[in-house]
Amino acid sequence: MNLLNIKYEKYKLSNGLEVILHQNKNLPLIAVNVWYKVGSAYEKRGKTGIAHLFEHMMFQGSENAAKEMHFRFIQEAGGTLNGSTTFDRTNYYEKLPTNFLELALWLESDRMGFLLPALTLEKLNNQKGVVLNERLEKYENQPYGLAWEKLLGNLYHENHPYSWPTIGYLDDIKSYSIEDVSSFFKNYYSPSNACLVVAGDFESAYCKDLIEKYFGEINSNELPSKNSYEIPSLEKNIQMKYEDNVQLERIYFAWHSDKAYTNDDAGLDIISDVLCGSKNSRLYKKLVYEKEIAQDVSAMQISGKLSGIFMIVATAKPGKDINELKNDILFEIQNLQKNGVAERELVKSKNGIKSSFIYSLQQIDNLADHLNAYNYYFNEPNSFIKDLKRYENVNNESVKSITEKYLIRPNVQLTIVPHVKGL
Amino acid sequence: MNFDRSKIPQPLQEINFTLPEIKSFVLSNGLKVLFVQREFLPIIRMNLITGCGSIFDPKNKNGLANLFSMMIDEGAGDYNALELSEEFDILGSSFSASCNHDNIFLSVRTLSENFERSLELFSLIVQKPHFKDLDFQRERRKIEVKLLQQKDEPEELAYLAFGHLVHGKNNPYAFPVLGYDDSVNNINNDEIKDFYQNNFSPDNSHLIVVGNISEEKLIASLETYLNKWSSKLNLIAPIFEFVKNKKSVSILNKEGAVQTELRVGHRSSSRNTPDYFSKTIMNTILGGQFTSRINLNLREAKGFTYGATSNFSYYKNSGEFCVSTSVSTENTLAAVTEILNELENIKTGVTPQELNFARSSIVRKFPSQFESDGQIASNLSLLAIQNLPYDYFDKYLDNIRNVSIVEVNQAAVNNILLNEMSIVLVGDKNKLSESFVSAEIGEVKIINEKGELIS
Repeated sequence: MNLLNIKYEKYKLSNGLEVILHQNKNLPLIAVNVWYKVGSAYEKRGKTGIAHLFEHMMFQGSENAAKEMHFRFIQEAGGTLNGSTTFDRTNYYEKLPTNFLELALWLESDRMGFLLPALTLEKLNNQKGVVLNERLEKYENQPYGLAWEKLLGNLYHENHPYSWPTIGYLDDIKSYSIEDVSSFFKNYYSPSNACLVVAGDFESAYCKDLIEKYFGEINSNELPSKNSYEIPSLEKNIQMKYEDNVQLERIYFAWHSDKAYTNDDAGLDIISDVLCGSKNSRLYKKLVYEKEIAQDVSAMQISGKLSGIFMIVATAKPGKDINELKNDILFEIQNLQKNGVAERELVKSKNGIKSSFIYSLQQIDNLADHLNAYNYYFNEPNSFIKDLKRYENVNNESVKSITEKYLIRPNVQLTIVPHVKGL
Repeated sequence: MNFDRSKIPQPLQEINFTLPEIKSFVLSNGLKVLFVQREFLPIIRMNLITGCGSIFDPKNKNGLANLFSMMIDEGAGDYNALELSEEFDILGSSFSASCNHDNIFLSVRTLSENFERSLELFSLIVQKPHFKDLDFQRERRKIEVKLLQQKDEPEELAYLAFGHLVHGKNNPYAFPVLGYDDSVNNINNDEIKDFYQNNFSPDNSHLIVVGNISEEKLIASLETYLNKWSSKLNLIAPIFEFVKNKKSVSILNKEGAVQTELRVGHRSSSRNTPDYFSKTIMNTILGGQFTSRINLNLREAKGFTYGATSNFSYYKNSGEFCVSTSVSTENTLAAVTEILNELENIKTGVTPQELNFARSSIVRKFPSQFESDGQIASNLSLLAIQNLPYDYFDKYLDNIRNVSIVEVNQAAVNNILLNEMSIVLVGDKNKLSESFVSAEIGEVKIINEKGELIS
């Protein structure tokens, strides 16, 4: 499909910084998007959450932009900005009116090259407070909020870096010193460990000159050697039960699955859609619609560079037996392995995915992030068509074999139950 | 270094941005249509907005409009509920329905090549919904369980309690869109059918269309598929009783909570207020964006929270002013004190620098608010919902630019009412109430999610 063929130019500066440019003149906007190849999977147990805490520190000002000024410059220019951290990478991005391209490149380069002179203990302590509250708000104070952490801890060996959540543990976050933060920067925030995407309405020669001017003089350092990890597996089912401050019982199933952007990863996305993606999906229809034993049921394939996780989550209606939900879920998985899917189910999933690919091209910041993702995982920014092909190639046989390979396997089963009220 | 990095780069010449052209027309059944044609991508989005939200729910039937919005796609024309959903899925199109206090929203997203068929399915939902008893029972049970689940969600509880307190216990804007246990239980399927006959009509609706289709083709398709929709409008206007609150602290107990979900605010004017643009700029400075006073204080200076915002929100017949954040239990009193200080400070005036910053940020951000079909559709929806003139966006930038510092300061004086602040805390009562009693901010009450006192 022509629409999905995204033209770009890719090159490297002499310091190793990768650059990808994509022109798109629909609106007078530019998106600047930087990926650093570091995330929580580069941490060690006992030192969790530093990649994410560090992301916060990147917004605390650099040598030439005082605290708060990074935000102020972008917002005064009418821009939006943010960053995010996953297992595998950290990204930073802003979208601005096109006449502010130089401002964005100045700010991104200043924190890539000149962050440490502006780093203070006061800023670090302030952002530790912010991150601790982020954790309380999104995990501790949310119903079922600690489930993800418990699943990871049981799926992976304690030294595997996917065994802790990206945000990290409270005690680790509290422990970080200025030295920890600056050595993290020196290790990973090298131009040679990053990729800069500029997308939108700009003139190519002008943009390249600016990139050379602002990023060209930043020195790269040697990167730490990468650890390798064995492909994780479970020998037998693990069953856990926890009490939480909730009204309804909920069951989580988690299996080891395939890595990001593989063919099986796409197959598992389709399987999740066939099981739970719509009113007619197998588990939704059976548990929520027909038997009404569940209030909700969802399935998802979550994948990264090292490994993937396939999850099914269902919340029992009041008074319904969680074991019935469990049995129905396991029955449908066996059914999928034995009898596969109907052609119509595949067509529905594939058409929905195709539509969402096309919708996703609308916003230039979203497109810029996609180019970075494809460059990181496929080493080819223009991979929309290749990515969609992964889905188009899924068929009845592959659904059966993928189900057998990943889901007819030991898993982690976590049940969260309401607190037993004492008198 | 071959250049001076401390020099802030200046922008190139101002950009040219042309607003998308908004077309409006009325179908022969009276349905008003707002349309923007966009040719970048082969996609079309369509939103139907009908002015019959939960404020029209009869007494003791709270939740009726919402349940109606859940029922409307449970079977239509020749398709039962599952078949109907399947027909959208096979196209890769999506349909959704939702409800808020003022409106019911039906929306469709599709590739252009499937527009005709998606519209046909949409027209069945609008014109020939089934409202079968079996489906009604199931959807109602779904709501009942959802109401139970709400008790777990601190943000939801804070929102509910705040709404009850600021709008007063006899105001339709206080009543939750989902309803209450007993009121939802009171609703029967005949009332859903009556709702369709009396409340859901082209006369109180707008259709918003954004996407890759010509005006002629769009009109022809809409006339073909929506010509049978002509039910008579028989809405009973709600009665609004507004209260004036005294500053108070209301605690909704969540035993063992590690954080407090916090709301501070009061009722405010509706969207047609003449000082709308001054309010908008004032709030941008106060708490409307990351670098606003409240967030910089609570997050970037104190480290109390992941984020704090203030907001004026607008209903059709009312409005709210609300500061919201969540903070760890031990910092709750300090956070409330800081918020109240900021509210007091803004009434003493803003600086010219702050005004310039806010103005610049709003004006320059404008083009990026017309990037996706979803953004354009919600901009058009705003015109429909708030009854704004169709040249509203043409004049928007001038309206922002023309606000003076005197007007911003006046907006703070008129719209931040320190003596009427309802302070809602969803958190651990045992760790909060004593410190708030001794702080003497206002009367300390223990409440439930309906804002009612409990002993």
